[in-house]
Amino acid sequence: MDPLVAASSVFAASLAVGLASIGPGLGQGNAASRAVEGIARQPEAEGKIRGTLLLSLAFMEALTIYGLVVALVLLFANPFAA
Amino acid sequence: MMLVSFPMLAALEVGKHFYWQLGNLEVHGQVLIVSWIVIGVLVISSALASRNLQTVPSGLQNFMEYALEFIQGIAKDQIGVKHYREWVPFVGSLFLFIFVSNWLGALVPWKLVKLPEGELAAPTSDVNTTIALALLVSLAYFYAGFKERGLGYFSKYVQGSPFLLPLWVIEDFTKPLSLSFRLFGNILADELVVGVFVLLVPLVIPLPVMILGLFTSAIQALIFSTLAASYIGEAMEGHGEEAHDDHHA
Amino acid sequence: MMDLIPRLSGGLSTHWVLLAAEAEGKGGLFDVDATLPIMAIQFLILVAILNELFFKPLMKVIDERDQSVRFGIAEAKERLSKAKSMASDYEKQLAQTRRDIQELIAAAQADANKIRNQQIADALTEAQLHVQNAKAEIEQQKQEVSAALDQQVTSLSHQILTKILGDLVQVS
Repeated sequence: MDPLVAASSVFAASLAVGLASIGPGLGQGNAASRAVEGIARQPEAEGKIRGTLLLSLAFMEALTIYGLVVALVLLFANPFAA
Repeated sequence: MMLVSFPMLAALEVGKHFYWQLGNLEVHGQVLIVSWIVIGVLVISSALASRNLQTVPSGLQNFMEYALEFIQGIAKDQIGVKHYREWVPFVGSLFLFIFVSNWLGALVPWKLVKLPEGELAAPTSDVNTTIALALLVSLAYFYAGFKERGLGYFSKYVQGSPFLLPLWVIEDFTKPLSLSFRLFGNILADELVVGVFVLLVPLVIPLPVMILGLFTSAIQALIFSTLAASYIGEAMEGHGEEAHDDHHA
Repeated sequence: MMDLIPRLSGGLSTHWVLLAAEAEGKGGLFDVDATLPIMAIQFLILVAILNELFFKPLMKVIDERDQSVRFGIAEAKERLSKAKSMASDYEKQLAQTRRDIQELIAAAQADANKIRNQQIADALTEAQLHVQNAKAEIEQQKQEVSAALDQQVTSLSHQILTKILGDLVQVS
C-alpha cells in the first residue's frame, strides 16, 4: 500500500472523528444545560424532560458516529488501498 | 485488514466475515448465527410468556406485558391513537430485535467462540442487518401511506413548488440511510471502543465503557423504533409540518 | 498515486467498498451481500411469529383486563352513587325525625306550661277564696267580740255605777 495513501488516510480519519465531535459536543452541552434549567424550573416534569433529552442527545451523538464511520472506512475499508 | 502495521488494532478483526456460500451468493455466517440466536431468544421468551396467560400477571408475563406497554407507548405517541394498533407488531419487533441484538452482542462473551474467520458480534453491527431493517421501514411507511390515503399519499411530491420535488425524493433516500448508519455506527463504535479498551487494559477499566455501551444500545433501539413509528405516522396523516411538530413535541 | 485515479473514478459507485475487499480478499466493513435480503425475510418472519405468539395474545389479555377494570370502576361508581343517595335519604329522614321530635318536645312543653299555668291560676283563686273567707270570719268575730265588749262595757259600767253611787241611782 502506498505510504502516502496510508498516512493521509490515518490523518483524515483522525480529522473526521475530531471535527465531527465539535458540533455535536456544543449541541449536546447546550441541550443538557437547557434541560437542567428546565428541570430546575419545573422539577415535576423531570421524567419527560429526561426522556426527550436522551433522545435528542442520541440524535446529536449520531452525527459524531457518522464521522466515526468515515474514519473506520478510511482505516479498515479504505477504497484507495491498492 | 489493511492495518497490519498496527498489530494492536489488527487484533480487533474489523471487517472480516465468516462467509457461507449459497449457490453463487455469499452470506455473512456470523451475522446470521447471532441473529438466529436473537430470534430464538425472542420467540422462546414470548412463547413462555404467553403460554399460560392470566388476568393477574406474574413473573415473565408481567415483564413481557411491561415491554409490550412500553412498545405500545412508542407506537401510540408517534402514530396516534387511531391507527397505532396495527403497527405495534412491526414497531415492537423492530425494538425487540434491535434491543436484544445489541444487548446480546454486548453481554455475551462471543470472543470465546472461535470461527474460521471473523467473530460473532451483534447482528446490528453489520451493515446488512441495519440496511435490511431500514429498507423494511421505508417499505412500511410507503405501504402505510398508500394504504391510508391511496394515491393521495404521493400528492406531497407534486404539491407546492416543483423545486421541492427533489427534496422530497431525497428525503425518502436519507431516511433509510440515516436510520441504518446511525444504528450500525453506534453499535460498531461501541464494540470497537470496548474492544480497544479490553486490548489496552483487560481488567475493570472497560467496565464503565461497557455499561455506557449497554445504555447507548438501548437508546439506539428506542430511537430506531421511535423513528420508524414516526415515519409511518407521518406518512399516514399527510405531510403537514404541524403533524411533524407534534411527533417531536 | 496516479494509478488510484481510475480506481477512484470507477469505484465511485457502491462497488468501492468491494474493491477494497477484493484488494485483500473478501471482507470489508461495508460488504453488502445476500445477507441483506435474508435478514429482511427472517425479520418479517420474526414479526409474524411475534405477532402470533406475543403481541396478539398479550394485547388481548391487556384489553380484557382494561375492560374488566373499566367495568369494575363503573360498577363501583354506580355503587358509590347508590350509597350516596342512600346516605342522603337517611340524612333526610334523620332531619325529619329531628324536626318531629322537636315539635313533639315543643308541644309537650306547651302542654306542660298550660297545665302549670292552669294549676297556678287555680291555686291562686283558691288561695284568694281562703283569704276572703278568713277575712270574713275575722270580721265577723271582730263584730262579735266588739258586741260582746260593748255589752260587757255596759254591764261593767253599770256595776261601777251601782258600786259608786249605790242605790242612788236606780238601775234603769
